Amino acid sequence: MNAVARHWPDAGETRIPYWVYTDKDIYQSELDRIWYGAHWLYAGLEAEVPAVGSYRTTTLGERSVIVVRSAPDEISVLENRCRHRGVTICQARSGKLPVITCPYHQWTYTLDGSLRGVPFRRGINGKGGMSPEFSPKDFGLVRLKVEVVNGVIWASFSDKTRPFREYFSERLWHSYERMFSGRKLRIDGYTRQTIPANWKLIVENFRDPYHAGLLHVFLPTFGLFRPDQGLELRMDETGRHGSIMPVPGHDPKAHSGNDFLSETAHDKSFKLADRRLVEAVHELKGEETVSTSTVFPSVIFLQQLNSLQVRQIIPKGTEEFELIFTFFGFEDDDEEMRQRRIRHGNLFGPAGLVTVDDFEVLPMAQSTYRAAETEESVLMMGQGGRVNSDEGSLATESPIRGFYQYYREVMGL
Amino acid sequence: MTALASPEVGPSREDVRAIYEDVRAFYHAYFEALDDDRIEEWPDFFVDDCVYRIIPRENYQAGQKTCIMQGDSKGMLTDRVRAIRSTQVYAPRYCRRFYSGLRLVGRTGRQLQIRQNLLVVHTLVSQPSKILGCGAAHDRLTLTDCGHLKLVERTIVLDTEMIDNTIIYPF
Repeated sequence: MNAVARHWPDAGETRIPYWVYTDKDIYQSELDRIWYGAHWLYAGLEAEVPAVGSYRTTTLGERSVIVVRSAPDEISVLENRCRHRGVTICQARSGKLPVITCPYHQWTYTLDGSLRGVPFRRGINGKGGMSPEFSPKDFGLVRLKVEVVNGVIWASFSDKTRPFREYFSERLWHSYERMFSGRKLRIDGYTRQTIPANWKLIVENFRDPYHAGLLHVFLPTFGLFRPDQGLELRMDETGRHGSIMPVPGHDPKAHSGNDFLSETAHDKSFKLADRRLVEAVHELKGEETVSTSTVFPSVIFLQQLNSLQVRQIIPKGTEEFELIFTFFGFEDDDEEMRQRRIRHGNLFGPAGLVTVDDFEVLPMAQSTYRAAETEESVLMMGQGGRVNSDEGSLATESPIRGFYQYYREVMGL
Repeated sequence: MTALASPEVGPSREDVRAIYEDVRAFYHAYFEALDDDRIEEWPDFFVDDCVYRIIPRENYQAGQKTCIMQGDSKGMLTDRVRAIRSTQVYAPRYCRRFYSGLRLVGRTGRQLQIRQNLLVVHTLVSQPSKILGCGAAHDRLTLTDCGHLKLVERTIVLDTEMIDNTIIYPF
């Protein structure tokens, strides 16, 4: 893997050159170094594969994998590619299987990926058959490194990836444990969409507190976001992971009548006809009202109101990615809470009253980059990068700079 | 509306034909209002205590409740319309809905169960028209005291696996 012949702007992470969103060599290098490198990728939730033989297929980087419960206490993540002719073995999204059989020549693998059966291996009536040099143990499905952490399944293509908690860091553990405490999860469903923009733009979007009350007019309009509220921004030591958690302001009058409202042209008289859309009850540990975290590179976790969700990123070339929302609750939710979560889901997903803004604005950015590859974004809001991430204000872009500090290191840029 | 207004009328061929005529007229008005971007009129096709859902087939079949779009009352539909008009940020587009295979599945008093196939095409500025969604709608219509048909429930089960970025307007 040679470093790509591109020169990062001298101003460092306060500038993001547009070629990082358009260059095919950069993209290939991202797959090799980031997606297939020493990083944990989100592979699903344990609740999705409850019984031995339960499996789901998903995509990590650009590779299809089978996530399967291979034993009562073991989850295997296997590349969904027969070692014989490279056929995608499982076509369905989910199901239950005793063994994994390729449809083409019925090569059969056990649930942990070992090759168990090759039809006509000994030939037919003494004729033909597999070469005596063929050893089934050399041709199991490609197994990924797996770690299950409080109900979340993580997989890595590299065996050098550090244990998850160390990888994500103690500084951020609170944001993870808040959503995934080990309490049994219940899956409420999925949404899937293709967004015509580079995958990094959605990660940046989630590390950009500056846009929250400006792009999303819905939030300040309904009192779900105040620009003067406390904000806890955190990153790990490398800058690659981050969390943004608004906390209730301790002095609500300090900035009352702030100029933010006068700067946005939204209709202040807008009252919801049905308040149930945003009526929430406090349920998770801590006083934070919202928690968002990005786990480099593949996933975003979000709790807002009573909606709990995972947003999985699947890169599809330089100018497209897929975003899959998994909405979940807890097994012991009562019916009222269950309904509340579903109702709050209206704010999110492909038709989300809030999220549509992000999914629409990212392509508006991406669409200018190809014709202006040597131009660059200006990220001069706030101070510092990963070394100075606890500014407590939304008027900063330090989490994006932190992301790019690590990105440049791992990419050799 | 006469065939539906009198519950004692049996399901004669003529009655059924008359019901179909009324139901078709209702949907033509519904789709025309949406296709012409008169979405402010959309909530008025529903009774106050209504349910509107666009749900992925994947979730529907698994008994999971997550929807792409949902309203639990006419008020929530009004809120969605006001968000579309005043708070959401999106590129301008046209959206057109095509239905087929309309069938009266059942009838209970003044309520009709209707199903239909649905195809929705959207067109963004300077771009070719694309399929936004394809699926089936499972509706319940009721005849109000004023003699109008209104939706009590509209559940659109969407086959479409991968949404072409966003859905702004209802189907």
